[in-house]
Amino acid sequence: METRITDEYQRVSEEGYDTECEKVANMLDMVIDGEASTEEQVYFNNHLEKCVSCFESHQKQKLLKGLVSGHLKRVIVPESLALSIKAKIQETL
Amino acid sequence: MSEQTGKQMSKEEKDARFEAELLPVLDPLYNFAYRLTLDEDDANDLVQETYLKAYRFFDYFEQGTNAKAWLFRILKNSFINEFRKKSKQPAKVDYSEVEGYYNSEDVEGESGVASTTDMRTESVQDLIGDEVASALNTLPVDFRTVIILCDLEGFTYEEMAKILDIPIGTVRSRLHRARNSLKEKLEKYAKSMGYNS
Ligand SMILES: [Zn+2]
Repeated sequence: METRITDEYQRVSEEGYDTECEKVANMLDMVIDGEASTEEQVYFNNHLEKCVSCFESHQKQKLLKGLVSGHLKRVIVPESLALSIKAKIQETL
Repeated sequence: MSEQTGKQMSKEEKDARFEAELLPVLDPLYNFAYRLTLDEDDANDLVQETYLKAYRFFDYFEQGTNAKAWLFRILKNSFINEFRKKSKQPAKVDYSEVEGYYNSEDVEGESGVASTTDMRTESVQDLIGDEVASALNTLPVDFRTVIILCDLEGFTYEEMAKILDIPIGTVRSRLHRARNSLKEKLEKYAKSMGYNS
């Protein structure tokens, strides 16, 4: 499996598709943030099947996003905060 | 139009609507404030100020619009205009000392891995969370902001553009630079933990 991907990648590189990697790198954030269009998404996925280097970049960027979304602890809102907001609002005309 | 209907509301109606539509955002808003100020008291003040401002302008707030994005925008502007000066600067973490130690060839990568796997999963999770937080806290506030908005709060690029009052293209490039910067800091940490990538 891995050999096949690498072979494909080398074949593509020899054909001079370097800008395809650049194009894909530029789409990376949009793809992981769900901001890419269907067309871009398809283009991206197709490229990843034949390019192990972009495949790895994608994995790393997803991991990074996951570290923030999955591991960064949320702070607990002090119980008094909602009450004091309500109190201040009631005083306001 | 909507101003008229807003002004016709009784104080009780207005308060009830305000509480129902805007108070559910309290948790994410407080978290955002905390990540900006890095101080619980400052976050508390900033959130209160945001809600009071929102209340003053609530007559202009149209039902069904994005309350969360609106409040985040008010909070972010309050932070920039008034708060930034008095809030504490993020603690500067000096990685160079740790780096020098862990990157020296005397330290075997394997021993680092072994000690991590010995720990209970929960404390490893905490450790990662703490490390992500401290890496994030060393980033410039503009970088921290886009990462929080996007990865923690799940705002779209369009919403972020409205909250930050910048073009979508700037959102994208700022987010990209912010992630590179965070990645760099976390890679140093990964190396120190014995991971190689
Ligand atoms: Zn590629």
